Amino acid sequence: MNPMTDLGLRFVRRPGPGGRSANLAAVGATAIVALLVTFLIAGSLGISHRSDRIGWRGGDQVDASTAIGATREVREQQLNGQHLVQIDLTTLKPNNAPPPPGLDHTPKPGEVFVSPEVAKQWSSLSAKFGLDKPTGIITEEGLSSPEELVVIHGVDKLDTKYPNYVDTWQTTQMDNRLFGLLIAVAFGIVLVLFPLLSLVGQAAGVAAKRREHRLAALRLAGATRGQVLWLSAVEQAVLGLAGAVVGLLGYTILTPLIAQIPLGGGRWYVADIAPNWWTALIVLGAVPVLSVLSAIIGLGRVSITPLGVVRGQTRKATSWLRLGFLIIGPVMLAVLGMEAAVVPLLIAIGFGALAVRIIGPFAVQVLGKMLANLSNGPVGLLAGRRLADDPKAAFRPVAALVLSGFVTGFISVFMPGGDGDPSWQDMRIGVALLMGLVFVTAAASTAAGAVGTALDQAAPARALRRSGVPLTVIERAARLAALAPVVGVGLPVVGFGALCGLALSGGQIFTEGNSGILLLIGQIVVGLFLVAAAGMAGAPVLRKASAN
Amino acid sequence: MPRQVCRPTNRGLIHGKLVSMSFQSPQLASQVVLSGHGLVKYYGPVVGLAGVDVGVRAGEALAVMGPSGNGKTTLLHVLAGILTPDQGEVWLGGERVDQLNDAARTVLRRRRLGFVFQDNQLLAELPADENVALPLMVDGVSRRDAIGRARATLAQVGLANEVGRRPGELSGGQAQRVAIARALVGEPQVVFADEPTGALDATTGSQVIDLLIGAATHRGAAVVVVTHDNSVAARCHRTLTIVDGRVHESLGATR
Repeated sequence: MNPMTDLGLRFVRRPGPGGRSANLAAVGATAIVALLVTFLIAGSLGISHRSDRIGWRGGDQVDASTAIGATREVREQQLNGQHLVQIDLTTLKPNNAPPPPGLDHTPKPGEVFVSPEVAKQWSSLSAKFGLDKPTGIITEEGLSSPEELVVIHGVDKLDTKYPNYVDTWQTTQMDNRLFGLLIAVAFGIVLVLFPLLSLVGQAAGVAAKRREHRLAALRLAGATRGQVLWLSAVEQAVLGLAGAVVGLLGYTILTPLIAQIPLGGGRWYVADIAPNWWTALIVLGAVPVLSVLSAIIGLGRVSITPLGVVRGQTRKATSWLRLGFLIIGPVMLAVLGMEAAVVPLLIAIGFGALAVRIIGPFAVQVLGKMLANLSNGPVGLLAGRRLADDPKAAFRPVAALVLSGFVTGFISVFMPGGDGDPSWQDMRIGVALLMGLVFVTAAASTAAGAVGTALDQAAPARALRRSGVPLTVIERAARLAALAPVVGVGLPVVGFGALCGLALSGGQIFTEGNSGILLLIGQIVVGLFLVAAAGMAGAPVLRKASAN
Repeated sequence: MPRQVCRPTNRGLIHGKLVSMSFQSPQLASQVVLSGHGLVKYYGPVVGLAGVDVGVRAGEALAVMGPSGNGKTTLLHVLAGILTPDQGEVWLGGERVDQLNDAARTVLRRRRLGFVFQDNQLLAELPADENVALPLMVDGVSRRDAIGRARATLAQVGLANEVGRRPGELSGGQAQRVAIARALVGEPQVVFADEPTGALDATTGSQVIDLLIGAATHRGAAVVVVTHDNSVAARCHRTLTIVDGRVHESLGATR
């Protein structure tokens, strides 16, 4: 075995003082990434599986002359106060085509197939359809959700000018509602991607200083830069793979719980959202590769010379020049105008992200300086100086929260008047889910960052404790440094997003009211709690690492 | 910085026992400020200290030498209340330290002791004055007063112009002087230094140890220095050599 590979594996097995905590934090953070990636892939596939079973109900847009049958959804049907899907179906020409999924034969005129939940309440419908009992029960293969209320009604002729034609009952045409959901998921993936990549970086960067010291020692011992990077890649690959396995297992264990989310027409069949073998392969391959790339990019920024002494150096403050770049965006928008919707929108999103990347650390730096200069006690001083010293690192876990929080804050307020509409319900649950994902990611980032900082700060913290500084002071400072960017920068931006949504909705929230704002507030409270709890993850590590 | 001139009138070599000495310096003639009696410390089956008696007087600098892993740092940690001995007693002034609980020992270390470590162990994010002021602020001193006292102490160690610079912007010797200022700012009775010159070149090391001993003893504080460096020991009033957890020899030296 390559000696550097051997050494890398040895570092994983025997990580040395503080190394076990660092490795656990890295595996934990990577596991969250793997879990969320699995969720996004398996969830998207689940939507597709669900659509495959019910897509025929909306037709497959074939020509009337070649169609073997047609359908029509009878709108606004209710069963005991709940939304009922009624599909009227007619056969247009004799055929031997297989019946629609979940039905033992294609319904003839007058025949009614119902879902198991409708069958339980058939007494409410028997008069309407003139049948004592339904013709048949639709099996799982023909239902979108276990509790779906659906009636498939065979008719002579459809009562509509615009029937949905089909040339096979087994069509894989995408269901309209699920298609909308899939687009929303794609949008969500774009939003979560940034936080996720940030989390990957954070996981790979846990205890970066410790690794830099070790690598500097290896360089001193004569290892080449390539050997040093290879060793780190091996170490990170093992940790990344372990995280991916844990995340995949975690998702599998959580699948029955995730299946309870009533998105896109009700709860889910576990089989729909269970990861298949190639989802597992993608996760087990992509997550470790991303971890390795992230670690190598991180190390690439550190100049490890053959005499690589690691010393603290002054970091550059955010320059006013960079802030000046932000003017370019509005200027470009002013020149281009808003007529061509896509290009200005892309520019706006791009500069929005850039604004977050540039203004965020700047805001954290200002916040840190204010905290340090105004505080009369050691906790604020330590936390403030830590934020001002490396605002980019402090902002990293919050960046995800800020960008996604802005958008979700915007959406959650800008959706009044849609109560009762299934699409709006989907959107509301989707936003809640998205914010949940963002907060979990941000919390995991915060936790990984807190553990990393705790390990990096172990030596001076030990010295402080020996000198008589109580551990509580050090811990409170660490907690404040984790929380301050969330409260001081994250919350105002989420609030600003909500304000924009409010402005665009014309203040309807005050005249009509909606549950969006309650959702937003609830999410923020839970999210803050999560991030605060995550910020404390460094405390036990710091306590142990700085002990005598 | 005025130099202490103190000459022991006798030199002794007594295994395991504190050597009784008299000093010409009026400061050194004062009472024992810190003492340990019959100190024993185990690390599992390993013996860290095997019955050490030691005392140090106000204004006195004591060097603790000996091979690595033979108990020097353990002795320093036990005397400083960082570790508690398995047997024996530690007294600081009239107070028995080893029987205090952790919180009380933490307060005692903060208020009555000072520490200088090999790698200065300053907080990288804080400028020099705030590093020095931190122990005072932890003790409830207002920020303004703490910074004022920190700057005055930094001026005494020759860093009046470096108060706003952070450890990464200072040389090794300057950073160690900031650490000395941090150890002295609380007017401690005893300053403990663990290999304070270990990371410095010979010239800078000499300057730093002279500064440490001079500044501390000038204030009437005792200094306990763990070192491998004979030139550092030569600058102290006495040298205690620890071998296998016991006092191997105790010498009075001439500075």
